[in-house]
Amino acid sequence: MSLAIETRDLVKTYKTRSGQTHVVDRLNLRVEPGEIFGFLGPNGAGKTTTIKILLGIIYQTSGQAFVLGKEAGDIQVHRQISYLPEKPYYYEHMTGLEIMQFYASLFGIKDTEHCKRLLNRVNLGNDMNRPISQYSKGMQQRVGLAQSLLNDPQLLFLDEPTGGLDPIAHIEIRDLILQFRDEGKTVFISSHELSDVERICDRVAIINKGEVVAQGALETLLVGGRIEVTANGCPAELADRMRDGHNVVSLNQGRLIVDMPDDKNPNDVVTAVQSAGGEIVSVIPRRKRLEDLFLEAVSGDDKAKGRQTISMLGSGGNDAVANGQAAPAKTQDTKGDNP
Amino acid sequence: MSAILSIAKTTLGEAIRRRVLLVILLIGVLFLVIAPGLEALSPRQEATVLRALTLGVIQLTSAVIAIVLTVYLIPNEIERRTIYTILSKPVLRWQFLVGKYLGAVFALGLMMALMTATMLLVFAVMKGQTSVDQLGGLARVPVMFFVQMSLLAAVAVFFSTFVTPVVNFFLSGGVYLVGSVFNSLFEAFADPSRGDINPVARALATVVQVIVPNFQNFNVQNSAINPGQVIQGELSYTIGLIGYALFYIAILLIAGILIFDRREV
Ligand SMILES: Nc1ncnc2c1ncn2[C@@H]1O[C@H](COP(=O)(O)OP(=O)(O)O)[C@@H](O)[C@H]1O
Ligand SMILES: [Mg+2]
Repeated sequence: MSLAIETRDLVKTYKTRSGQTHVVDRLNLRVEPGEIFGFLGPNGAGKTTTIKILLGIIYQTSGQAFVLGKEAGDIQVHRQISYLPEKPYYYEHMTGLEIMQFYASLFGIKDTEHCKRLLNRVNLGNDMNRPISQYSKGMQQRVGLAQSLLNDPQLLFLDEPTGGLDPIAHIEIRDLILQFRDEGKTVFISSHELSDVERICDRVAIINKGEVVAQGALETLLVGGRIEVTANGCPAELADRMRDGHNVVSLNQGRLIVDMPDDKNPNDVVTAVQSAGGEIVSVIPRRKRLEDLFLEAVSGDDKAKGRQTISMLGSGGNDAVANGQAAPAKTQDTKGDNP
Repeated sequence: MSAILSIAKTTLGEAIRRRVLLVILLIGVLFLVIAPGLEALSPRQEATVLRALTLGVIQLTSAVIAIVLTVYLIPNEIERRTIYTILSKPVLRWQFLVGKYLGAVFALGLMMALMTATMLLVFAVMKGQTSVDQLGGLARVPVMFFVQMSLLAAVAVFFSTFVTPVVNFFLSGGVYLVGSVFNSLFEAFADPSRGDINPVARALATVVQVIVPNFQNFNVQNSAINPGQVIQGELSYTIGLIGYALFYIAILLIAGILIFDRREV
């Protein structure tokens, strides 16, 4: 069986006032049939753009994109896929059932009972004759999921399906997505919210500025725990020595945090700190979370994060140096370095 | 086919709920109702002037509705992202565009039918004109207006595949004016028998004449305003006009589809 989704060196360039922006930059994705694939990245990373290319709504600048073995945009493939856009909107004068009938008719499906069954499945059985304008956000999102099931698709594209929803709605949507997998469907789900994705995705790709910075099975990416060693009164020279390819190191006014894989011996760090005149504050083991991957992967330019975490993981030559020294030049460097 | 009709149906549903359009329609209907009450008209002229005025109101209102309705047809779909769910289904872009256009034409027809009904009611009740002949002759004019406005809507749909709604409003409005009100002016400039016209101006006027659809031909109100007049070969003239409109609409939609097909949405 062919791959559900494959992209080869996919590039999408937009012309802007300041020249050209690579919104998607040599993107290589491989999504296997039957898996829930998380497509992660901060806002503006190029997730929606990639999905639109895969659907044939916009066109790539170069590279190739295949969906269910056919070139993206193939109209026959559209019978076997479905798409839930980011923050979708529906014709507000229509009721939930009318919307379903409308989308069904686009497949040539005239079966009203089928529409009702799907609305029942997303718990809208009692509200299907109310206009969409009276629906809450969560209800609208559930209509969106119901319409995405009309053609019993093999492959679903869900763009930020839990965006802007309250926690209960989150859980409802997540449970529905898990049911899709049990039915053998492939789900391609984009998100910048990690907590949901972590629990449901088999594999993820993390992208930043249109480039994949980490990709793989979650259990592989999340393998092992982390140990975090915190110390005060440390010199910059010590921080430099700690950077050996697997550690996430930050130094702020003498406060050193070394976040390391748990297969390494924290005693080495403790000894080094002590011999450099530093004072150990804590040594804390913890489970690795998707957040770690995410932070590590996008650390090249993520201003939002609380501390300066520099990644060694997943992004080959991206060995930028923290804290002042190489920081200003970082953004350009990471762009150019990646293969 | 079912996809095109479904898209047309939802477009119609959206259009008849758009407040701007309803306000314009309401103003039109209001004018139709108060027109006979304008006592300033002298009794002898009244019949003729009132007919011309009434039909003029219908024409103007319909033209404004046709343009306002269609310039936002595609941009609204993109802005609200409804187009994405539709195009991710097995719907081709031409089907989408044709569906949107047909929906707009349905809505236009519905609104024009309402105005025509109002007009007939006004003439029947206030002017006591109840003969089928009189009312039928009067009703024939908005029918041709409808064909005209369908053509105008196609012009606006064509432009909407590559310009913004505001630009489109002026472009389509301009094309309509050039093709109707200023038509005779351009005709005069393009006339090869006139020696006093600068050749460049004549060439330009000829090009405009050829490209811009002739909306003026659809204004068949003369016989309705002056019931005495009899027009020879009226049926074949009407059929010819409808053929002309369909031809232009097809060209415009095909050109629009070619542009829209390559466009990023
Ligand atoms: N039509 C466009 N023209 C120019 N830039 C665009 C266009 N569409 C998207 N972008 C830019 O591409 C980047 C990626 O956008 P998007 O794919 O929506 O990101 P994400 O979905 O990951 O949040 C953003 O910086 C956005 O401003
Ligand atoms: Mg997005």
